Amino acid sequence: MQGYIIRRIIGAIFVVFLAGTFSFFAIRILPGDAASAALGLDAGSASAEQIAERRAEYGLDKPLATQYGNWLWDTIRLDLGNSFTNRANSVWYEIGRSLPYSIELGVLIVIVGFAVAFPVGLLSAIFQDRWIDYTLRSLAILALAAPVFWTAAIASLFVLEWELFLIDVIGQPHIWENPKDAITWYLIPMLAGGFAGTAATMRLLRSQMLEVMRQDYVRTARAKGLRESVVIIRHALRNALLPVLTVMGVTVATIIGSQVILENMFNIPGIGNLIISSLFERDNPVFQSVIVLIAVFVVFTNLVVDILYGIIDPRIRLS
Amino acid sequence: MTEARGEVIVPEGDPNLLIRLGSGLRSVLRFIRGKPLGGIGLIIAVAFILIAIFANQIQRHDQDQIFDSPNPDYKANPTTLELARNPDIGSPVVVEQFAEPSGKHWFGTDKFGRDIWSQVIHGARLSLIVGLGASVIAVIGGLVIGMISAYYAGILDLLIQRIVDMLQAIPFLVLVLVFTQISEPKVSYVVLWLGIAGLAITTRLIRSAVFAVRESEFVLAARVVGASDLRIMVRHVLPNVVAVLIIAFSIGIGAYILAEAAISFLGAGPQGVASWGKMVQAGRGSLDLHPWQTVFAGGAIMMIVLGFNLLGDALRDVLDPRLRGA
Repeated sequence: MQGYIIRRIIGAIFVVFLAGTFSFFAIRILPGDAASAALGLDAGSASAEQIAERRAEYGLDKPLATQYGNWLWDTIRLDLGNSFTNRANSVWYEIGRSLPYSIELGVLIVIVGFAVAFPVGLLSAIFQDRWIDYTLRSLAILALAAPVFWTAAIASLFVLEWELFLIDVIGQPHIWENPKDAITWYLIPMLAGGFAGTAATMRLLRSQMLEVMRQDYVRTARAKGLRESVVIIRHALRNALLPVLTVMGVTVATIIGSQVILENMFNIPGIGNLIISSLFERDNPVFQSVIVLIAVFVVFTNLVVDILYGIIDPRIRLS
Repeated sequence: MTEARGEVIVPEGDPNLLIRLGSGLRSVLRFIRGKPLGGIGLIIAVAFILIAIFANQIQRHDQDQIFDSPNPDYKANPTTLELARNPDIGSPVVVEQFAEPSGKHWFGTDKFGRDIWSQVIHGARLSLIVGLGASVIAVIGGLVIGMISAYYAGILDLLIQRIVDMLQAIPFLVLVLVFTQISEPKVSYVVLWLGIAGLAITTRLIRSAVFAVRESEFVLAARVVGASDLRIMVRHVLPNVVAVLIIAFSIGIGAYILAEAAISFLGAGPQGVASWGKMVQAGRGSLDLHPWQTVFAGGAIMMIVLGFNLLGDALRDVLDPRLRGA
């Protein structure tokens, strides 16, 4: 088991390294750079010397190999440098400012998603092929097909049309600063994101439940005379949950993807907005660091899930 | 479990289904009867393909035509005061912006007085080209890489797998946004980049299928009689992973359509063509009073993705039930 964990950790670090390398070269392949993006706002006003000067300041005039070496060495020492766009701010500051918003929204999306997916998946499996199953499955299929930005737009349409509540938020409050305003602000993105993010989880949970309910130990539990709720929750659900956990890495990546759109729509200054702005402004240090951050998050979610799975289910370790 | 060496890998379910699928209307009807949801998906997909092909015939109005109507308040030489009260008074016609759905404009008109029905109809073209095109690229690329990866195994396989892991560690949308920035925002490039971003998933699917086949006895036999690697791959491995290829192709389409809609919504999509994602964004400015553009464009995205998802799910269940949930 130890050998397995060590092998997996080395693999994970290598994947993160690849993601960083990818982001390093990707942002440099794109046409234009931070110097022309910053100076070229009114086209032609910046002279070639000015741009060259700014490029030298950013270190963009050095050979690619040198830049890559510097980046790698700095990143290993966790020195991420300063943002190109907001030159007074370090990348750590930019990330530290954005990350809480994304974590808040992400956690809310996960809570909403699982709060929906669990009962829905369970009900759907228990009432298999009854009208309630068909209704819930249809909803899940629709949720998978609907673009998250559209769901969010329609949700805000209903809020406006029926004056459900007033989205009257001043500033960009954190949930621990001003819970009421923050929840109002996050309400639509978290519902839309949760709806979109966990349709797959719901379907997986349903099919796993159906699989498990056919097993002998469930029949044994019923034969022992246990109450149906105990059979379902203690015996069936616990075993059906494992495969759902294994796809957590994919779920997390999906949720981050929809957060990019939702943060953009609702002006939430989180990591998703930071990716878009740093990409469009060619803010290399910020972009690279954010991609590495996300890769670390996704890869290590996968790693933890796999290791836990190996501990819970010894058969995995053998294969 | 397919651990037994020499077990011939045939997709579970009906091995002859592929042949029958190709044999005309009767097999399609049988598919619809067996998988009613898949049948609905097929009907939706075919409907959208027909809409895209005959867009010019069913559009009713040109998508760029700006509709206007005579201005009832028109006055030839308004005084400054009148002009201040009613800025439109000096023009003989007013643009029919934000018309409600009616017999003339089935889906209403947008901010510039253009017919939304016609725009939605033309948007089907882009979505279909993107969905089908990107999926073809992803499957062909995934087939080549997945075969090489599985067949030669070893260090090359390990490296390819880590690259696939890396691509999957970056959210699909971000990957597509980065790629599309590289080139001009033309439809063909966007299709290409979406297909490349999708390589990770198809490679993984196809690689595991090839892995199962290469352990089988007939591949061993082919190697014993001295067949070259290329011959083994093309003649012996490829025919046995066709089912997986079809599955990989059909379940990806919806995801590419959604991704194109998302980048268009963010303003980074293909330029110069009608795009549903762009229309959802355009309609958002006046969502509270005139929601029709957003509602219909987004509804179209949902319908087409729904159709291809249902079709893909049904094909997967029929061709290879083991992949359920993949």
